[in-house]
Amino acid sequence: MPGLLLAATKSRPILWDTPLGLEVLWYGLVGLSVLVFLYGVARPLARYRRGNRDGLPPLREVPARFWQATRKVYSQAMIARRNPAIGWAHRGIFYGWVVLAIGTVIVALSHDVAQPLFGAGFYDGNFYLGCKAFLNLFGTALILALLAMMVRRAVVRPARLDYARPDRAPGEEGAERRGYRVGDWAFVVTLLVIALTGYLLEGLRIAMEDPGYNAFQFGGWLVAQPLAALGDPTLAALRHGAWWFHGLLAITFVALIPYTKAGHMLSSYASMVFRDPLAGKRLAPIPPERADAPAGYGTLGDFSALHLLQLDACTKCGRCHEVCPARATGRPLSPRDVVLELGEHSRHPRGDSPGGLLGGLLDAGGAAAEEGAIGPEAVRAETVWSCMQCNACVEACPVGIEQAPIINQLRRRLLEEGELDAGLQATLQQIHKSGNSLGQSRRSRGKWTAELDFEVKDARAEAVDVLWFVGDYASFDPRSQRVTRTLARVLHEAGVDFGILYEGESNAGNDVRRAGEEGLFEMLAERNVEQISACSFNRILTSDPHSLNTLRNEYPDFGGSWTVVHHTDLVLELVEEGRFGALAPLHHRVTYHDPCYLGRHNGTYEAPRRLLELLGCELVEMPRNRDNSFCCGAGGGQIWITEQGGTERPSENRIREALELQGVDLFVVACPKDVTMYEDAIKTTASDGRLRLVELTELLDEALARGPVAAA
Amino acid sequence: MKVLVPVKSVAQIDGEPLLDGAAEVSPDLLEWRLNEWDEFALEAALRLVEGDGGEVVVVTVGQEEAEEGLLACLAKGADRAVRIWDPALAGADPLAVAGLLARLATEEQPDLILGGVQSSDSGNAATAVALAGLLDLPRVAVVAGIELDGDQLTVERELDGGAIEVLRLRTPALLTVQTGINEPRYATLRAIKQAKAKPLATLGPAELGTDAAAALALAGSRTVALAMPERGEGATMIDGPPSAIAGRIAEIVTAEVGS
Repeated sequence: MPGLLLAATKSRPILWDTPLGLEVLWYGLVGLSVLVFLYGVARPLARYRRGNRDGLPPLREVPARFWQATRKVYSQAMIARRNPAIGWAHRGIFYGWVVLAIGTVIVALSHDVAQPLFGAGFYDGNFYLGCKAFLNLFGTALILALLAMMVRRAVVRPARLDYARPDRAPGEEGAERRGYRVGDWAFVVTLLVIALTGYLLEGLRIAMEDPGYNAFQFGGWLVAQPLAALGDPTLAALRHGAWWFHGLLAITFVALIPYTKAGHMLSSYASMVFRDPLAGKRLAPIPPERADAPAGYGTLGDFSALHLLQLDACTKCGRCHEVCPARATGRPLSPRDVVLELGEHSRHPRGDSPGGLLGGLLDAGGAAAEEGAIGPEAVRAETVWSCMQCNACVEACPVGIEQAPIINQLRRRLLEEGELDAGLQATLQQIHKSGNSLGQSRRSRGKWTAELDFEVKDARAEAVDVLWFVGDYASFDPRSQRVTRTLARVLHEAGVDFGILYEGESNAGNDVRRAGEEGLFEMLAERNVEQISACSFNRILTSDPHSLNTLRNEYPDFGGSWTVVHHTDLVLELVEEGRFGALAPLHHRVTYHDPCYLGRHNGTYEAPRRLLELLGCELVEMPRNRDNSFCCGAGGGQIWITEQGGTERPSENRIREALELQGVDLFVVACPKDVTMYEDAIKTTASDGRLRLVELTELLDEALARGPVAAA
Repeated sequence: MKVLVPVKSVAQIDGEPLLDGAAEVSPDLLEWRLNEWDEFALEAALRLVEGDGGEVVVVTVGQEEAEEGLLACLAKGADRAVRIWDPALAGADPLAVAGLLARLATEEQPDLILGGVQSSDSGNAATAVALAGLLDLPRVAVVAGIELDGDQLTVERELDGGAIEVLRLRTPALLTVQTGINEPRYATLRAIKQAKAKPLATLGPAELGTDAAAALALAGSRTVALAMPERGEGATMIDGPPSAIAGRIAEIVTAEVGS
């Protein structure tokens, strides 16, 4: 029933020239597509229901989080971050898809709802032309963006899209992940074919009907030009064929969304809604009801619903793979491969599972409950122990996956099963006995004060303004002790009323927890909270970012909520208040290493930079700086673990990065572990003559030693 | 298969010891931990039982502080723990301790007793050996390898120069275990907490059919005084660049020994 041909038509026929039988078949297939889609959505939801509720936000927060996630999804900021070009390409695909999907829904509403109900649709007139223009615009964006992404995959081939696994030997089963490569290509090619056949269809219609308003459907008009010569019977046959091809491909694509890479439209979105804003900063405590159960993750059945969702939310973008310091230095770990490996076990457990469609739904996750998470054919112990818990992966992930906290849960279980490095075991026992990781006597914790020419107050005995939590390395390591004493002199000179806990202080437990020894962490946290709570003070100071992180973000779970500041914050405050008078500019050309636990975990990027500026130093930024800083290799308990393999030490990798900077001879740090790690790395890379390590406080001390500048 | 493992919580002096000739160190200065050798003995016992089935019972003679060490043993996998104590036993010597352990062993009737070679605090290396004597058990000291086949024990000892001595004996027997025989497992703090649910009995000498005075009557020795050796004199600290240090050392050697 071809419509009346007019010179200009502000509409188009829906289901053009389709006999009733085929129309019924079409609606039947659309219905089937929706059912397959819904089944694919229900199956993972049933799996998540078996997970524990750890880390889920309270229900009342969900609307606000949903709104936040939606804003982020529509701005695409998480993808554009650090990669503006990729951000635009993904925007093209995202908005192209969204607009075309909405266009299809509008057609359906007009034809299948308004038409039967009110006798007339609304997909005509100027509204129709507006839609056409929009759809053409975004369809073109979709095609261009898809082509750009395909060029990137095929020609540019960035390392992050390389699926070769660092946790498997080359040639080992699954080391290449070919299946994912096929899936990625199928996804972009299918989208491209759907978009192109849409234009073909439009072109065939324009060639046959010449409806005018070509500028509003420029894509179709362009396609129509070479087609016009074909003649109506051929065009009509082609139009029927193209319609069914386009239609069937589109509804197949929709049906398969939950089963393919396209599923990230749903799972990544959901993951962004439920993401933990403190991921990695505050690890999950073990709730009392599970006090007697094995700790951490041994099987997929131990996973929280949130982490199960995250395993499905991975888009394989490889950003975590790219930034991981373990991967970058040849260790058998890529956070991406940990997530993919666990996701495979979660979705396709090897154990017995009742077959059939219903079985898949009813037992979803039942077989996975027994599926081991750790082992030669799952995540290997060496992989779990390669992680530095630096949170670079969590920071880089555009969809809120908690790679490092998941690895931490695997560690908790490995530790309980006794699979830990002998060096780590000895250190944990040492910390348990004497409260510090350096094998020193508990009583000697305050011994570093002996060389000062003033008394450092015992905060347990008298009230202080600032309670200084010194931390293990700053208290005991001889090189760091020099920094600690310098800081004490600076505070003393500025007239700060401060005190320390002496032997009342224990290791803060940040790295004990990240090594997976949750019970020991609980003991240390309880002990420190008890000691600190008995003191009278206004705020807590520490020079150790690791202690800062756990005191600030994790001790609140143990009843200790205080203002905790890093020494760079406090020293900056003192300098800006003019407590030292005007400072002589140092005129050094320096670079600065952002400590993971100060920057990424706690957002302090400006204070050290502002201090350097006030000290008259010229800062040359490291190529990887701020939230993209590169771990020194000490984190997550690695400083206690006997060094294993790898092609280079992370600290040496970092020093080599600094050596590339022109005219920089000072490597500035603000973390006691960095002092140890980089003093070593400068020696082992034989860079003594070219680069010198200096702690930020020591620069201030140097400026103070030059004496105040006379006012001009 | 029942293995009895006598363990000792040893005292470590925290910081610089202040000894002034008294027979005891002030308890404030002490930190307690499980004797290192006993950790290896327990691990050996756990591995034997994990292979063949059975029970591991740990026992100590010690005051309340020793319970933490017993909990760590239970956390690692020991089935039961027994602490024997009476305040009068403070300062008991190896013979007195062995006498009490012998009474418990007579009750428990273990197939094997695995002790550490010695304790790190007093270093007598006598308790386990005395226990074997009191029980009239065959014993091998300083064992570096254990294999069990039925009631047949094959044990290895390391001799001077690295030679390995292999001995065969039948259970019941007593072995004292050397460090390095295995890699003792780690007990997480959570496991130690959970171990509080396992049986830990506290017995007095009376419950073992004796009394403290009788136990102490076996005493062969008594601690009279503790003191630090006098610090030697004559050490010279040399500072400076490596070449200057080397030059100074050469001068001293030449002066003292002659060229």
